[in-house]
Amino acid sequence: MTSKANILVVDDEPQIADMISSALQLYGYSVQTAMDGEQGVAKVGANKYDLAIMDIQMPGMDGITALGEMKKLDPEIEVIIATGHGTMGTAIESLRKGAFDYLHKPFEIKELLKVVERALEKRKFNDITRAIFSTVKPEEQLRVIIDSVTRILKAEESLLVLPGRDGQLYIAVSDGLEDPGAAASRLEMCSRIMDAPAETSKSAVLSENPAGDKRFAGVSGLGGLKSSLFLPLREDNKPVGLIVISRLEDETYFTEDDMQRARIFASLVSLALRNSSLYRQLQETQGQLIQAEKMSALGQLAGGLAHEINNPLSGILGLTQLVMENTDKAGQNYADLKDIEKAVFRCKKIIVSLLSFSRQEKTHLEPVNLNEAVEETLTLCARQMELQHIKINRRLAPGLPMVNADFQQLMQVFLNLFTNARDAMPDGGELTISTALDGNGGRQAVVAEVADTGGGISPEIAGRLFDPFFTTKAVGKGTGLGLSVCLGIINRHNGAIKVADRPGGGSAFTLNLPAL
Amino acid sequence: MSKKVLIADDEELVRNYVRRALAGRGWEVTEAANGAQALELAGRCGFDALVCDLKMPDMRGEEVIKRVRQACPAMKIVAITGSVSDIKAPLAPGVQADGFLIKPFGIDEIRDLLEKLTKT
Repeated sequence: MTSKANILVVDDEPQIADMISSALQLYGYSVQTAMDGEQGVAKVGANKYDLAIMDIQMPGMDGITALGEMKKLDPEIEVIIATGHGTMGTAIESLRKGAFDYLHKPFEIKELLKVVERALEKRKFNDITRAIFSTVKPEEQLRVIIDSVTRILKAEESLLVLPGRDGQLYIAVSDGLEDPGAAASRLEMCSRIMDAPAETSKSAVLSENPAGDKRFAGVSGLGGLKSSLFLPLREDNKPVGLIVISRLEDETYFTEDDMQRARIFASLVSLALRNSSLYRQLQETQGQLIQAEKMSALGQLAGGLAHEINNPLSGILGLTQLVMENTDKAGQNYADLKDIEKAVFRCKKIIVSLLSFSRQEKTHLEPVNLNEAVEETLTLCARQMELQHIKINRRLAPGLPMVNADFQQLMQVFLNLFTNARDAMPDGGELTISTALDGNGGRQAVVAEVADTGGGISPEIAGRLFDPFFTTKAVGKGTGLGLSVCLGIINRHNGAIKVADRPGGGSAFTLNLPAL
Repeated sequence: MSKKVLIADDEELVRNYVRRALAGRGWEVTEAANGAQALELAGRCGFDALVCDLKMPDMRGEEVIKRVRQACPAMKIVAITGSVSDIKAPLAPGVQADGFLIKPFGIDEIRDLLEKLTKT
């Protein structure tokens, strides 16, 4: 808010300093004064000012030197230089040193106010830009931008409208949109604009009195809008969203200046959106790297460990069996030995599955039809599913591009996912396998989703699901390696695997493999 | 006449139960605790079978098997290992073990395998 701006007036003539400060105070600014350059610099060192208005000719430290010192102390401070009998030369020098503008004395108060307002606006823009880019969290960036755009353009309502995954527009961030009913009318306006290439190719689309605008004919709920400014956001020459800035009744129309500011905001939003997608990619990659690191460390450990453990384990097994041969089969001792034998076999199984995922097995990549891998795996477990009253729904998209993959390993992944789904539904349910083509983001990918109607995955464990040895199954039922094996395989295929809760209960694993 | 087998493994625990498992079935068992000993004992070809661990401190089992295979083509050779990553080693050219067991293996597994291999 402009009324809160802190201004420092530096002038050795008390009457002039007084005149300037009372004029500024009258307009709601908070003003302090300094009598010379040194004092001015000291004040800037001690307090935070948005703006300094400074005389150039002062005893002791002159205005130009003081300007340099002030900028050193506070690079963000804006400075307006007032020259009494200044030449063009000193004025230009002050600009070079970073002054925002200069005024020739005597100046009119109106003139001063205009320059002050412009300087503060620049200051505000700088602050906003800094605020926007000081946070890497994309959602926060967009929130800061939209909040600022409302303020700067003296609007009542600002929206950022983006297409969702399903292509439907939604309001990603809004400021001043209180009435939920109004959202529908705003979205309808936006889709009219987005559907008109003639409009989205412009840098700004202005609608004065949207309710009477023929572009929005038939859209209800626009009565409250005086004027709306639409800023199409573009990426790679394609429209990717809209910013809508609206003034409500009893406000003035947007000026050319407003449009200019709005365009700057639009470019900031485009930048922030791009940042946000890069940030998301970075986070995903980081997550995958950490996971891969964990697995490779474990793999090395496992390889060495297996040999060490298998030798004594072999001894335990062999000796147990030797003793069993000389033990009465009806006695308790025999039963105990039998349990030891079983325990050894369990250990053996754990080690084998541990090794199977740690082994740097060569992946034989060839063009594979993902649907075929799904079908073949389903053939393997159809009977099991039937026994457990699980209905299998196939939603396999026809005509998918091939993926570069190892067929056996893909089957291993699906088998794992199906088995987990089955175990999540002990009382029966539905297993739904869908495949689709995902063309979002330039590179095409084939996506497979394996969804169950089981108990779902609680948020606390979702993050550990792919960790080796993490299992929710009863002791002895699972090794906790299945999903880490899947992750390892999918990583080797340059793909991704994710898990999410389904809205209707149950969980869904999504595989993403680059299409050929 | 009882058949003779040499068991080469640096793990005493393993040698111990394999020896007793086979002795109980009438085998005459000799033990070697490392690769050099195994070569020395088997080099004279006085055994019907060799059970050889692949990872011994002084020498890889493949090397032992290769040399014994050259010297005594008639001897049946079983490779044993605790490491699944060795799975292809016994089949390597020149090694060509007749049998292969991954630890932990049970007493019947080694008995059955050797009996099958040396059946005349």
